[in-house]
Amino acid sequence: MNSQQQTMDDLIRTGYQHGFVTDIEADTAPPGLSEAVIRMISAKKGEPEWLLEWRLAAYAHWLTLEEPDWAQVRHPPIDFQSISYYSAPKKKGDGPKSLDEVDPQLLDAYNKLGIPLEEQKALAGVAVDAVFDSVSVATTFRKNLADAGVLFCSMSEAVREYPELVRQHLGSVVPYKDNYFACLNAAVFTDGTFVYIPKGVRCPMELSTYFRINEANTGQFERTLIVAEAGSHVSYLEGCTAPMRDENQLHAAVVELIAMEDARIKYSTVQNWYPGDEQGKGGIYNFVTKRGDCRGDRSHISWTQVETGSAITWKYPSCILRGDDSVGEFYSVAVTRGMQQADTGTKMIHLGRNTRSTIVSKGISAGQGQNSYRGLVRMAQRAENARNHTQCDSLLIGDRCGAHTFPYIEVRNPTAKVEHEATTSKISEDQLFYCRQRGLSEENAVSMIVNGFCKEVFKELPMEFAVEAQKLLNLTLEGAVG
Amino acid sequence: MSTLTEQRGWFSALASSSEPEQSGPEPDWLRNTRVLARDAIRELPVPNRKLEAWRYTSIEGLLQQEFTPAVEQGRTWTHEELEPWLGPAADVYRLVFVNGQCIPRLATGLELPTGVTLGSLRAALGTDPKLLATWLNHTGAHEEHLFSALNTALIHDGLLLHIAADVELDRPIEVVYLNLEQDKALLNQPRNLVVLEPGASATLVERFIGAEEAVYFHNQVTELVLQEGAELRHYRMQEESRASWHLASLYLSQDAHSRYQGTSLSFGGRWARTEYQARFQHEAAQCELNGLYTVGKGQLTDFHLDIRHSVPNCTSRERFKGILFGKGRAVFDGRILVEKQAQKSDAQLRNDNLMLVRDAEVDTKPQLEIHADDVQCSHGTTVGQLDPQQVFYLRSRGIDTDSARRMLCLGFAGEIIDTIEVPILREQAMERLTATIRTATETLE
Amino acid sequence: MLSIKDLYAGIDGKTILQGLNLEVAPGEVHAIMGPNGSGKSTLSHVLAGRDGYEVTGGQVRFDGEDLLALATEERAHRGIFLGMQYPVELPGVNNMTFMREAMNANRRARGEPELDAVAFMKRVKEEARHLKLDEQLLKRNVNSGFSGGEKKRNEILQMAMLEPRLAILDETDSGLDIDALRVISDGVNALRTPDRSIILITHYQRLLEYIQPDHVHVLVGGRILRSGDKDLALELEEKGYGWIEEEAAA
Repeated sequence: MNSQQQTMDDLIRTGYQHGFVTDIEADTAPPGLSEAVIRMISAKKGEPEWLLEWRLAAYAHWLTLEEPDWAQVRHPPIDFQSISYYSAPKKKGDGPKSLDEVDPQLLDAYNKLGIPLEEQKALAGVAVDAVFDSVSVATTFRKNLADAGVLFCSMSEAVREYPELVRQHLGSVVPYKDNYFACLNAAVFTDGTFVYIPKGVRCPMELSTYFRINEANTGQFERTLIVAEAGSHVSYLEGCTAPMRDENQLHAAVVELIAMEDARIKYSTVQNWYPGDEQGKGGIYNFVTKRGDCRGDRSHISWTQVETGSAITWKYPSCILRGDDSVGEFYSVAVTRGMQQADTGTKMIHLGRNTRSTIVSKGISAGQGQNSYRGLVRMAQRAENARNHTQCDSLLIGDRCGAHTFPYIEVRNPTAKVEHEATTSKISEDQLFYCRQRGLSEENAVSMIVNGFCKEVFKELPMEFAVEAQKLLNLTLEGAVG
Repeated sequence: MSTLTEQRGWFSALASSSEPEQSGPEPDWLRNTRVLARDAIRELPVPNRKLEAWRYTSIEGLLQQEFTPAVEQGRTWTHEELEPWLGPAADVYRLVFVNGQCIPRLATGLELPTGVTLGSLRAALGTDPKLLATWLNHTGAHEEHLFSALNTALIHDGLLLHIAADVELDRPIEVVYLNLEQDKALLNQPRNLVVLEPGASATLVERFIGAEEAVYFHNQVTELVLQEGAELRHYRMQEESRASWHLASLYLSQDAHSRYQGTSLSFGGRWARTEYQARFQHEAAQCELNGLYTVGKGQLTDFHLDIRHSVPNCTSRERFKGILFGKGRAVFDGRILVEKQAQKSDAQLRNDNLMLVRDAEVDTKPQLEIHADDVQCSHGTTVGQLDPQQVFYLRSRGIDTDSARRMLCLGFAGEIIDTIEVPILREQAMERLTATIRTATETLE
Repeated sequence: MLSIKDLYAGIDGKTILQGLNLEVAPGEVHAIMGPNGSGKSTLSHVLAGRDGYEVTGGQVRFDGEDLLALATEERAHRGIFLGMQYPVELPGVNNMTFMREAMNANRRARGEPELDAVAFMKRVKEEARHLKLDEQLLKRNVNSGFSGGEKKRNEILQMAMLEPRLAILDETDSGLDIDALRVISDGVNALRTPDRSIILITHYQRLLEYIQPDHVHVLVGGRILRSGDKDLALELEEKGYGWIEEEAAA
């Protein structure tokens, strides 16, 4: 048992792998939030009047709100005046027209992350948009996508190039009044990714965005909008990292998905923001609002997330199942170790007939990590024959961590059916002994058992990312046996 | 929300009235307890939907109604008037409360074995003040709950059951609460205290009966103290008036190796809420809670469980089932907390609901909060309908649809009713359920 | 090959093995029989190095090396295989992946090259066929939802793949019907070689009709009270364990 504990502790202490800082001259706004700062952001981006007005309305509303305190997480109050709301790598002229113009140090930063932006080196068939601090720095495979009619670009560019599309959809799924952090995001968001898949088009490749916070004292407030027109399909992946810093940094993103009739959106996240050190110093506060609107009949939105990073994660990728026969899915692996806290889950709002939802949540807690599943399944009055199945499993590694489950189930239709199951377990001594008796090291045995525990979720990830996620999980828990 | 606070109405009037109308002098400890409870009433928030424990349960109707504390009987009831409500007292020790007051002349079978105290809490203030001073408000019931504080501030009468060490009671104790019509809407607040000394064992049956259409608020607090190795089987059947509010708050404190088996059946009330708060004080205690609720037109039925494992090796089992057959609402909120030091805890929670009609609503919230790793904890919840295949199967055997549905509902609920080990109560429960379901299934589409 | 001298061991502060001696030479099959609670499973767990078991006296040498100083997996790397009475389920862990990982961990430890996927697949399928193990079971998660017989066959399959030097089969016959018993026995017999030893731990003589032991030992109260050839097993079947205890006491 002692030797086990030892290995476990070693594993838990394994360092964060992406903790480098890139030394790039940045154009950073002084800390503080005010109407002037918002006007400055909007002006820097050359935004149209309606967008500035929207931001200002959001800011005015935000001032009336109080920070929510219902999540199972603890943190000192956030000083919103000490955060800088805009940071961009300084560029010559108007910014890169192609990758050749991107600062080589930036490219190097992404290479260190294992995300080569050069097209020839890019993962086969994956188009990448990279957001560095607050702005998009490069988007790959533009041409191939354009040929298919797919729009894939930074949000700033979309505001310039496709203002009508943006105006039509921005905030239509997550209105600025939605919640405290979404409201803040609406006021100060600086960039993000925009995807538009025209009617009937199957996006020819995986789309992917990598987010990185680099500057100290900056927050990252990006906004992603994906619109899938009738009959279209798209699979999108986002990855996130940040350097190691002693202070906490805020990431308050908003993601909006819109799926029209027969459209399918698959949204996968591998989140590995800096989690803070052993004592809980530093790390990202990841307060994110993600919501998909299954607007059309038979539309399908699937969220898959592997959450290994951040000091605090607070997010509930949700589906509004408006269209009849629409389907919502949520597959999640959340790992907390050290002093990490995660309060994550989903909302499945069944409005249409024959709507279906599946929730599979796997929480792993090690060290002093706290992991909560919080989920809402609502069957509205007209949700005839709607179905939900939820499975929440928690795995505890060590006796100082916590695993919590807070499901809310609201049913107003007598033909709807909801099933929810939750279990809590630890890796049993029997299982470890069995594996070791067959010659596997303890570490190997744990990683095998943990991967087995997460299998249902990993199999939902696009193939190349499933491997990546598995590696990340192994790294995160390296040595953490229990 | 401020409007709600201002709306306290009768509530704040009661809370601020300087002295309760008590006859005779009171011991200091009781006066102190009342003062603390009064302070709590002023400080505790009025239940509202922003409070997690009241998210799905509105008390607006309750606040709008005027209630008068039923401290003295408005009138005397004759034996003949009460007889039909009570039924035969076969093989039980029976105690009867009318509108919250114990009526000693209605008690039967009270030739109690040595070591057993059973009777009115009010009477015991005179005869056994030491026992009450030791145990009354032992669980600090008023501290977090506005309605428990209200009950505590106005403690007047209730059930007192004390069983000495190693005494095993041969027959069940039956306590009947009759809530009968008065010209005013009454606030009936029995305050119960049940203490089982080490190794004691008993079965307690509580029945809540309301006169049809009677308007009242039955706000009961029950403190249950099970000392080492004690065993209590506690069965509760609630058939309050459909115009009444019923709130029962049970505070359970368990010592090592004690065992509590509780079954609550909730049939009546327009607004009925049952709260269990279970605390394990020492290792190897077991707590089993079962519940069944039926919800008809205009009813709200709410069960709240707050189970805290703070010591190792305790077991808790919670199993609650509900049937909605009218435009009403069922709320279930079950929370299991396993604290850091509570290794080897075994906790399992289930809530299953059958929703048979339109315009009904089920809100359920089973929660696990686990801070120890060597535990076995799970919860499961379902909301659904009768299985059409099962209905079809029964019909193919020649049973008509209504009967088939009734049978399946009874089968669904039977699992809970079967946990009652008092045959006569089990039969009464089954009868009541059958009647309820019969009326219900006849009106279904 | 295996030499156990005056072994005292137990669990939770209770000494169960009380001075056990046993010598196993290469190629030999030893049967250890004994009533419930005599220490049979304790012996198998102590040999395999299960955490929680405490050795308070004596020594165990395997090919001259101090076995007790080695970690569980290191013993496996040396060639010790424990076929368990209750094989453990590993939810989500694919049976084939598991076997391949285990095999390659052993091969790496022994400095042998890892087996590539194709060669591995070929072998595992072949072995599964010998054991009449449904190929579907290879694709399922380790022991999850397997019947009792399937679990035991899966154990023997792992034994065949891992090619141990010493296999300890703990109550491998328990809960098996006669057909399954035959298949498993055939499997074990096929794995008998001049340099592989087997310790069969069993309750009943029945298994020994199928797997002929070279030596039979009676374990009572944590000690081997009598050793003999397979006729001893027959005698036990007939007379029970009582007479040995009495003789020992006398």
